[in-house]
Amino acid sequence: MQESLATPAPSAPSRSFISIQDPSSTTDQVLSSGPQLSKPSVPPPVKSRGPNSGAGAHRLRRIIAEDAEWSLAIVPLLTELCIQNIVKNFPNNPILTQLLPEHQQKVLNDLSPDLPLAVTANLIHDESYWRRCCMHRWPVCHVDSHGGSWKCMFFERHLENLLKHFIPGTTDPAVILDLLPLCRNYVHRLRVDQFLPPVHLPPTPRSEDQSDSGSEGETEEPTRDHYQLNDLVAGLSQLEELDLVYRVKDCGMNFEWNLFLFTYRDCHSLAATIKACHTLKIFRLTRSKVDDDKARILIRSLLDHPALEELDLSHNLIGDRGVRAAAKLLSHSRLRVLNLANNQVRAPGAQSLAHALAHNTSLLSLNLRLNCIEDEGGQALAHALQTNKCLTTLHLGGNELSEPTATLLSLVLSVNTTLTSINLSCNHIGLDGGKQLLEGMSDNRTLLEFDLRLSEVAQESEYLIGQALCANRETARQRGLNASHFMSPLTAQGPENPSR
Amino acid sequence: MNPPGSLGDLEELEGEHLSASILRPSVHSDNPQERIQARRLRIAARLEARRREALGDYLDGKKESEEDQSKSYKQKEESRLKLAKLLLCGTELVTNIQVAADIRETRRRVEEEEIKRQRLEKLENEVKTSQDKFDEISAKWEEGKQKIIPQELWEMLNTQQVHCAGLIEDKNKLINELQQELKTKDDQYVKDLKKQSDNICLLLDRMEEQVKNVMKTFRQELHHIEKAFEVERQELLTSNKKKWERALQAHNTKELEYLMNRIKKVEDYEKQLNKQRIWDCEEYSLIKIKLEQDVQVLEQQLQQMKATYLLNQEKLEYNYQVLKKRDEESTVIKSQQKRKINRHTGNYQTSLHDILNNLRSKYAKQVKQFQEENQSLTSDYKHLVMQFKEVQKAMRHFALADDEKFQEIWLMNEEEVKDLIKRGFDVDRIIHTHHLGLPWTAPDFWFLKNVGPLSQQQQKSASQILEELLMQTGNGILKPEPACWSFGLFALLIVLGLLRGRAQCIGLCFIEEEGAEETASDPASYLDLPKQISAKTTRKILMLLCDESGFLIESKLLSLLLPLEKSECYLLRLDAIFSALGIESEDDLYKLVNFFLKYRAHHHSPSSQERMSLTPALEPAEQPDFEGREEESLVEREPEEKEAPASPRLIHPNAVLKILEAFVMGLKKPRDSRPPVKLRKEVRDNSKDSEYWQALATVIPPATQNLWDALYTALEKYHLILTQRAKLLVENNALEQQNTELQLLLKQYLASKINSELQVPPTEVLRIPVKSKQT
Repeated sequence: MQESLATPAPSAPSRSFISIQDPSSTTDQVLSSGPQLSKPSVPPPVKSRGPNSGAGAHRLRRIIAEDAEWSLAIVPLLTELCIQNIVKNFPNNPILTQLLPEHQQKVLNDLSPDLPLAVTANLIHDESYWRRCCMHRWPVCHVDSHGGSWKCMFFERHLENLLKHFIPGTTDPAVILDLLPLCRNYVHRLRVDQFLPPVHLPPTPRSEDQSDSGSEGETEEPTRDHYQLNDLVAGLSQLEELDLVYRVKDCGMNFEWNLFLFTYRDCHSLAATIKACHTLKIFRLTRSKVDDDKARILIRSLLDHPALEELDLSHNLIGDRGVRAAAKLLSHSRLRVLNLANNQVRAPGAQSLAHALAHNTSLLSLNLRLNCIEDEGGQALAHALQTNKCLTTLHLGGNELSEPTATLLSLVLSVNTTLTSINLSCNHIGLDGGKQLLEGMSDNRTLLEFDLRLSEVAQESEYLIGQALCANRETARQRGLNASHFMSPLTAQGPENPSR
Repeated sequence: MNPPGSLGDLEELEGEHLSASILRPSVHSDNPQERIQARRLRIAARLEARRREALGDYLDGKKESEEDQSKSYKQKEESRLKLAKLLLCGTELVTNIQVAADIRETRRRVEEEEIKRQRLEKLENEVKTSQDKFDEISAKWEEGKQKIIPQELWEMLNTQQVHCAGLIEDKNKLINELQQELKTKDDQYVKDLKKQSDNICLLLDRMEEQVKNVMKTFRQELHHIEKAFEVERQELLTSNKKKWERALQAHNTKELEYLMNRIKKVEDYEKQLNKQRIWDCEEYSLIKIKLEQDVQVLEQQLQQMKATYLLNQEKLEYNYQVLKKRDEESTVIKSQQKRKINRHTGNYQTSLHDILNNLRSKYAKQVKQFQEENQSLTSDYKHLVMQFKEVQKAMRHFALADDEKFQEIWLMNEEEVKDLIKRGFDVDRIIHTHHLGLPWTAPDFWFLKNVGPLSQQQQKSASQILEELLMQTGNGILKPEPACWSFGLFALLIVLGLLRGRAQCIGLCFIEEEGAEETASDPASYLDLPKQISAKTTRKILMLLCDESGFLIESKLLSLLLPLEKSECYLLRLDAIFSALGIESEDDLYKLVNFFLKYRAHHHSPSSQERMSLTPALEPAEQPDFEGREEESLVEREPEEKEAPASPRLIHPNAVLKILEAFVMGLKKPRDSRPPVKLRKEVRDNSKDSEYWQALATVIPPATQNLWDALYTALEKYHLILTQRAKLLVENNALEQQNTELQLLLKQYLASKINSELQVPPTEVLRIPVKSKQT
């Protein structure tokens, strides 16, 4: 009885493992899964039935239902021939929905992944076909970064590819707009990490258009603008995530500063685009030299956005003014994640953020890594956290913080019950600050992660804090077990992804 | 963990397995039904297994949660902690690089800021000093403007130039410094890039290592956990098994105990049952005997009752019979008494009445019977009459047909015979004229002229006779023509026939005719007298009739008759009268005439009455011999006829009507009885036929035949001689011809040349015999 209980090992989960695992292993799995997939379509070779044990009884019977080796592959069935024909003529005469499910499956297994999208896009919904298409085009595929749908992945990556290689003025915009009706239902996220500028670049001084409005830039330098997303995004009804980087990859020795230019016109059109896109939940604009003015333009367009949850403007040139705008956004939207890492935020900006944060009820995560808010900003934030009941993750690494902030934070730790992760690495907290933090930790039961690396804290206190965190984790686990994984998704999202 | 439940489950399971393995039909069997059954069972088993699996899972989970401190749990906790630590450490290890990079960056930024600040300060200082210098220089320009002396100016300009150069040099220095700095920065940048790539490499390495580590440890831990689970399961299994066995043993012993108890109980019950059975049997037999006795007693009683019942029945029956008889007797007596009373009271009236009634009924019955008989007989009679008539019809038809045929055959034979006779006569004539040289006269026999069968002449219609009669009488010439005499004879005969009977009359008529023909030599003298007389009288009578019964003729006809001759007028008148009276045939006419004569005789001469009575008396005597009586009757009649002419005038014209009336009345009667008479007429006498045919056969007399025979022999001889002569003639002719031919040949030979060449010419030789012959 026990054995029969242990035996059921469903094969379905093994397939999902493939996509979850890391890229290095994924390739292997993908390669190994190739034949696995194609196996059902190929009929097993006809094996001559050897003399069975019950040969005497079987000699009279021509068809034995229990014979697993038996196959009718000698003569191709009419259905097989029809299916072959359908497959052959699929681009001209796509017949799929009229077929029986098993025949549909066969047809899909035999279809070439090179078929024109106009035929397949709205007709085929079978994941395995799109999986084959993806595998055929790209060696590495992370399907779970595309919502677990191979079809979505195919169209998203296809569109991304087109956008990446779009050269304004030379490439026909119809190339992308023609695709729009086909992919509008399947594109949920767009991650474009390069925008090519027009090819013939007139050498014009870059400093002239800095202070002017967008209209001037339009007239003077129309050629330096990148692809305008507004038509495309307006067409994509399901778009939820927009991840843009205005730069050029692999420019090599052709490097010019002009290549890395996020113009005002780009900025205005992007602002209009994201304002019009009501389904957008995540907006990322990183490594694009977004300065205060551009940030203000963008953020102004995002005010009172109905769906936006995450804003990522990391690795830009945003200063205090831009941060002030972001702080205003916090109180005018339902933003859950705000990432301003590696910008030029200083104490005033931090203070404004702290002011907004004090009464905010939606923000869960705030990242101010590699800024320079210093103690003044840190103290302001710590004060804000005393009243805030929402924030769970706070990253203040590399912000020139020191003991005064630590003392205030220790107070916060003893009071706050929502914070689960704090990062104070790369600061100058000092031995006393460490001790104070340890004190604060002693009263805390919710904090799960507290990064104090390279922050001049004593080893002893760091260790003790680590012990306290361990205890907290245990209790959190117990709570999670009892409350059926209530906290686990937050904890999983909390830490920074190391690969980024 | 509840042993009874699981035990029950197990038991059930095992039981099922056992039963399944025993009952399960093989999938490989040859019977398709069995195979189907097997597959069904298999499917059912699978479903059952799945269900049990779910149940087992549930049990397992329960077990786990309950068994907190088990080995596996410990192992799990241990590995979990270990893994958590590993993960934490790993992420720390990986993120360390980032953190390091971050702090380097912050430091660099701090340094950079510092350097920037210094540079700015330096630049500001430089700007200040250079400004001072510039101001100095520019101030000196003012000074220079005031200078008038060229040397001074030149000097000053030189110093200015030196200052400016100094200023520029400072600036250049600064620029150089900055450029130097930039260069070093560039180098720094390259270095940083390198470092960064190193860092990334390191990061990747660490990540990979981390992944490997984690996977390895995860696997290890999984393995450990599995092992722990396995061990635990093993333990659990063994313990459960032990428990199960123990329970089974306990169960077995208990069962055995129960079994023993049961056996004992069964034995006890059996004994009790036996006892009870015996007791019951005894009781049963006792009751049975008792009841049987009761039954016997009751049956005896029943028999007795039956006997008494029978006795009573017979008694009652007897009584009933006696009473019945008495009742009958009493009724008889009662009726007798009644009769007596009736007799006394009604004076036998009733008794007579009874008899009368009886008779009446009999009578009615008989009448009825006879009526029925009569009816049947009449119907039979009718039927027979019908049949008879039909037969008569058929007979008539056949008679007619026969007659026709007979006539045809007769004619044919006659023709043949006449042919033969004619040939015979021809031959005879030839013989007589040619051979004998005698004159030949054709023999004239009566029968040679006869054509058709020997029968009566066809009846002539009344009008024809009348015509003839009138013509004869009108002309007043008595011609001895056969028609006339035969007519007269016929008239007479018919009168006779009327008196006697048709058949005889006709037979007589034929015979008479034949006889008359035989005695053809004197027919006229014999028949003239009666005929003339009768013709006259009839004529007279008819004339009278014609005059008196003019009313019978239509007035139109009368007017038409006026211009005609007297005789013709009479004829037509009579014709009309006869048609009115219904007289059609000869007979009727003669009957009429006769009637007139009779009437006259009856009224005017009482003697005629006597004669009339005499003639019937004569009739029977006449019948046997025809010819003898005929003469007599004719003779007898003649005076009568002779009398008649004398007395026609005695018939008063007024009486004619009365006579006619009587005649018409009388005519109707004979007409009714006429058809049978007519039939009899057909029977003809064939006695003369043989004679006729015989006569025909012997038309050539034996004398001539003898003559022919003699002639034949003589002629034959003559013929013989003639033939001989003819032969001889032919012979002679042949010889003559031969002779001439031979002569010709001889001449030829003699004339040929060869004769001359020969020594002895044949001519010579020939000549010699010829000569000799000639000589």
